[in-house]
Amino acid sequence: MTKKLLQGNQAIALAAVKAGLNFFAGYPITPASEILHELVNKKAVKVLQMEDEIASVNTIIGASLAGAKAMTSTSGPGFSLMQESIGHAHMMEVPLVIVNVQRVGPSTGMPTFPAQGDIMQCKYGSHGDYFPIVFYPNSVAELYEFTFYAFNAAEESLSPVILLSDGYVGHLYETIEEADYPVSKRTLAPLGTSNRHFTGLTHKDSMPVTSDPEVHKKLIKHLETKQKKVSRKYNNYEYIKNRSSDTLLITYGALSRAAYNFKEDFAIYRPVRIFPIVEKIKQIAKKYKEIIVMEMNTGQYANEIERLLHREIKFIPILGGKIDLNEIGTKLRRIKRKK
Amino acid sequence: MTKELTYLNYLKQERLPHQWCPGCGNGIILKLSCLAMEKLNFPKKGTVMVSGIGCSGRSAGFFDLDSVHTAHGRALPVAEGIKLANEELNVMVISGDGDLFGIGGNHLLHASRRNTDITVICISNAIYGMTGGQCSPTTELSSKTLTTPRGNVDTPVNVQAIVTAHNCYYARSTTFHFNHAMKCIFEALQHKGFSFVEIKSQCITNDGRRRGFKNSYEMLMSYKDKYKINNKASVLEHSEIGIIK
Repeated sequence: MTKKLLQGNQAIALAAVKAGLNFFAGYPITPASEILHELVNKKAVKVLQMEDEIASVNTIIGASLAGAKAMTSTSGPGFSLMQESIGHAHMMEVPLVIVNVQRVGPSTGMPTFPAQGDIMQCKYGSHGDYFPIVFYPNSVAELYEFTFYAFNAAEESLSPVILLSDGYVGHLYETIEEADYPVSKRTLAPLGTSNRHFTGLTHKDSMPVTSDPEVHKKLIKHLETKQKKVSRKYNNYEYIKNRSSDTLLITYGALSRAAYNFKEDFAIYRPVRIFPIVEKIKQIAKKYKEIIVMEMNTGQYANEIERLLHREIKFIPILGGKIDLNEIGTKLRRIKRKK
Repeated sequence: MTKELTYLNYLKQERLPHQWCPGCGNGIILKLSCLAMEKLNFPKKGTVMVSGIGCSGRSAGFFDLDSVHTAHGRALPVAEGIKLANEELNVMVISGDGDLFGIGGNHLLHASRRNTDITVICISNAIYGMTGGQCSPTTELSSKTLTTPRGNVDTPVNVQAIVTAHNCYYARSTTFHFNHAMKCIFEALQHKGFSFVEIKSQCITNDGRRRGFKNSYEMLMSYKDKYKINNKASVLEHSEIGIIK
């Protein structure tokens, strides 16, 4: 196995090609552009630079239906533009991989600084009910590994899978081992082989049914069951026990790397598959009196955890794109003192 | 002796009759597309139909082909993705003027620039029919609609200029000029590269009746009076229909 020094974004591109990527459409955006730059030079991949992110995601929907393994990459603003079509892809059951390298928002925000402000957007960004699978690794090696899982989960669930990253991990250089992971095959027959109709309308047996509530209920149930079943294969999380502490610190992505510095004082839980939330957290949380969620937003994941655990949790927002150990330390101590 | 209607093989006959209003032009264009495909002997497996949203967006579901009903305005990028992922496929788009020039206008600009080998048939009825009859990008000046009760003040979009600016195939016809429209689609399907057929079509329910037409026959006849065929022009006048390659 060869070792390589790679940037987070480059690792995604490399792993994607190994996972069978052969169609990419994207639009330049900081801090995700390196994925596009890297893929342009890969012979195995047809790369299109589109007029915007809406065109990008729709082009890969078409390509994927036509049989290609397709991906796009973007950051928060572009991800917002893609939301309608992400819901559309869930409804039509199209396998896709969408990489979102997060930056500080809202709006144009701070393009070169990392953030974790798209957590809600991943889960609830499009209208209607859908059940996305979302991975959020925290190192270059993990980005490489989870790119494979993202492609596999997309093929197995026939849905768009979101691979989250952030401006920090995306631009970080680390040494990784260039391993090969098993790759799932396409089960959906490509376009041009039958007479199926793919539609965003509520449908049954691929034909639109727009006035029967029962058909719609069944369809949503089908989507939910399917996503839950596939996600069970990817129960990825990291749990650092601490018997001397009564507090569990939940953190993920770039910020979790800073949190490791406090493992003497806290137990640490880091979800990698952030949606659907790994159920294991329910068991782990029972062992601790106090739960703190620390994230680079104003409590997006904290709300989800609180809702799942039915108990009060504290949260620490780290805003402005700067990960400062002193700031984190002070905030953690202050919360401990309060109780 | 009755002649067998072989073009119907391109349709899912169990889904007929379609759900469009009596007098709608969409059915004519559905038939035109089938006839053109039949004439070219397009294999059903190997041809993909893509549509957008709106009344016209429902077209794709009637074809006995693999078909995709995309999000509003996004028929072109989806069709491009299909074609570029598998260049063996014949890819056709049927969509409306609101979908292609309004919400999806930017994609038209760029799909024609990229000259992707797809054929687009635009059912151009100058109205947002499905949503009740609002002004569309092709609504004529001073025309009255739900959202322009005192007459439209905005110039209709110049589709010909957009498509021909990138030297792509552009044809304009109407639902009245059946054979001419057929020729436009037939040639467009044979064209290598981006081809665009704009077919003026009537919506009696949400447009015509508000503008004083008694029925869709009167609307069809108005096309007969208004449009003259000119297949030799390099630029079509407002009241001309024809093909520009």
